[in-house]
Amino acid sequence: MWDAFIGGLLINLQFNSFLYMLVGCAIGFWVGILPGLGGGTTLALMLPFIYKMSPEEAFPFLLGMHSVVATTGDITSVLFGIPGEATTVATIVDGYPLAKKGEAGRALGAVLMSSLVGALFGASFLAFTIPIVRPLVLAFGSPEMFMLIILGLTCISTLSGHGKRGLMLGLMSGAFGFMISLVGQDRQAGVLRFTFGQLYLWNGLSIIPVMVGLFAIPEIVDLAVRGTAIAGNVQLGKLGKGVREGIKDTFRHFWLTVRCSIIGSLIGILPGLGGGVAQWVSYAHATQSAKTEEERANFGKGDIRGVLGPGAANNSKEGAGLIPTVAFGIPAGSGMAILMGAFFLLGLVPGPDMLTKHLKLTYSMVWTIAISNVIIVAVCLLFINRLAKLTTIRGNLMIPIVLLLCFIGAYTSNNDIADLIVLMVFGGIGYFMVKYRFPRPPFILGFILGKLAETYLYSSATRYGAAWLLRPKVLIILAIAVAFAVYPFIQKRFRKEVLSEPDKI
Amino acid sequence: MTLCFALISIGVIVQSLRWPFKTALFPVIIGSCALILSIVEFSMSLYETTGGRTKKKKQDAMDFKLSEGVDPAVARLRTWTAFGWIIGFFFLIVLFSFNIGIPLFVLLYLKLHGKEKWLISILMTVGAWIFFWGLFIWLLDTPMPQGWLIRGLHAIGIGS
Repeated sequence: MWDAFIGGLLINLQFNSFLYMLVGCAIGFWVGILPGLGGGTTLALMLPFIYKMSPEEAFPFLLGMHSVVATTGDITSVLFGIPGEATTVATIVDGYPLAKKGEAGRALGAVLMSSLVGALFGASFLAFTIPIVRPLVLAFGSPEMFMLIILGLTCISTLSGHGKRGLMLGLMSGAFGFMISLVGQDRQAGVLRFTFGQLYLWNGLSIIPVMVGLFAIPEIVDLAVRGTAIAGNVQLGKLGKGVREGIKDTFRHFWLTVRCSIIGSLIGILPGLGGGVAQWVSYAHATQSAKTEEERANFGKGDIRGVLGPGAANNSKEGAGLIPTVAFGIPAGSGMAILMGAFFLLGLVPGPDMLTKHLKLTYSMVWTIAISNVIIVAVCLLFINRLAKLTTIRGNLMIPIVLLLCFIGAYTSNNDIADLIVLMVFGGIGYFMVKYRFPRPPFILGFILGKLAETYLYSSATRYGAAWLLRPKVLIILAIAVAFAVYPFIQKRFRKEVLSEPDKI
Repeated sequence: MTLCFALISIGVIVQSLRWPFKTALFPVIIGSCALILSIVEFSMSLYETTGGRTKKKKQDAMDFKLSEGVDPAVARLRTWTAFGWIIGFFFLIVLFSFNIGIPLFVLLYLKLHGKEKWLISILMTVGAWIFFWGLFIWLLDTPMPQGWLIRGLHAIGIGS
């Protein structure tokens, strides 16, 4: 195994492989930054180019692109409040408020460094767990996967606000997201639901226009209302110092970053869940690290831990996502499904052969994830000052450009003009949600995972009847979800009791 | 907003009851949960506003909040204006396609709304168009729809 580990590194250091990896990184840099250009879509666009490549060149090329997309996607989330990727939505919650406070440099430094830590952790996770992960992946069936989705939703609903009302609004928002995901043909019987006679809706609503509309439009409207730059009238200060502060924050909260990387890896291993759940569960965990109610209240307003958690998780899941893909031929997500296409194009079959005959190639994938993230983070840190200065540009100059990116991003997801209508409708919905304090993150999570949740629920009900509710792993995950929901109330009550007994302080 | 939500949930449940079991299972469960949640939330907010306990501070969502430092009347006007520009951009794209709609929107927004100088407006307009054309047309060869006006002109034989 050690020979294969070193052999994998040597593969990546060959001139052609390294060059292709750099090209992939360059493409991934822009794909992550531009909303609408998804990593999965770009992976598909790059497949034709690998026909003439050897596997040792093709995988650094493809993975070099795919593994840095989550890193650079965080940049637009922080600077503009627009998710560059579907997996970088959670970064907006605290990253964008930091930018508005004039701390864009700090937020970027933190998100880039935590992304690097997460990516390295994910790569290591892939390297060392391949031989032992099989029982874990096979232990989770449809009932457990459904409960994991509910766990993710509960976590994010718990964070959505303070107190009972906050939890209620979060759960309502999540349920609303589930309902919106119902639009289109159902997977079980092919019945058209809520399509109102429109062919466009047969496939359901596309995630990019919904996501960009929900998150970006309210921010753009608010920027227009404020009439200032993104950073307001706050003096940006020395950006370099802010970036260094952000990097130091990663090491100040190092164990939080590592824990969130573990969360990302564990969730990334499970096919189908991926970044959607990982980023929010890790965000939930980051908020749980707050020791007081006042500290917890800071989340959503620019707490650096709210940037570190999702930044680490959405990168660590990349390495972990390769495990079921490479080892079992079960794609962990849509990007991995496309990557499997690459396997077949190159004459490889994902499965046991990748862990025996082609182990060096498998380890070269590990090294690709690690090296490409080191390179891209180093490059981003070089340009970070210029990137952070974008938040000081007048709103009137930024708004048309940001709107342009939103519209093009929404259109290019399906090359359909109707996506622009979806963008505007959800822009309006997002605005009213923000106005009436309905949190958006649970909605988007419910929307992304709705169809998957339905499939798992239906499979569970069909196969096990009601008995699936009593499976031990289901009950454990349910208990964790309930614990997440009630923990803030217990914490609050405990603190009240302690404060009411002065001797105990 | 809660009432809207409740009505949507009722609509989902009613519609779902007409579908076969496998299609209706998830919508009925989610619709029912959503309806219960909205009834509870509505009751809680009604209880707080009509008396009983003293009014509690409005719950802060852990999400972006609209800025409050602007006069409400001015904020309302700017909000409507912003949405107007967004809808206007959409119509420019539909009428003229992206190729013309994008530079036209950027120029109009910067000059009419932003009151920016001609130099900046033109530079940004050209820059936006180069970015759009260079990346999406030249590099990615993304198929773009023809605008209605352009299509109409071609239909009557003007330009092709």
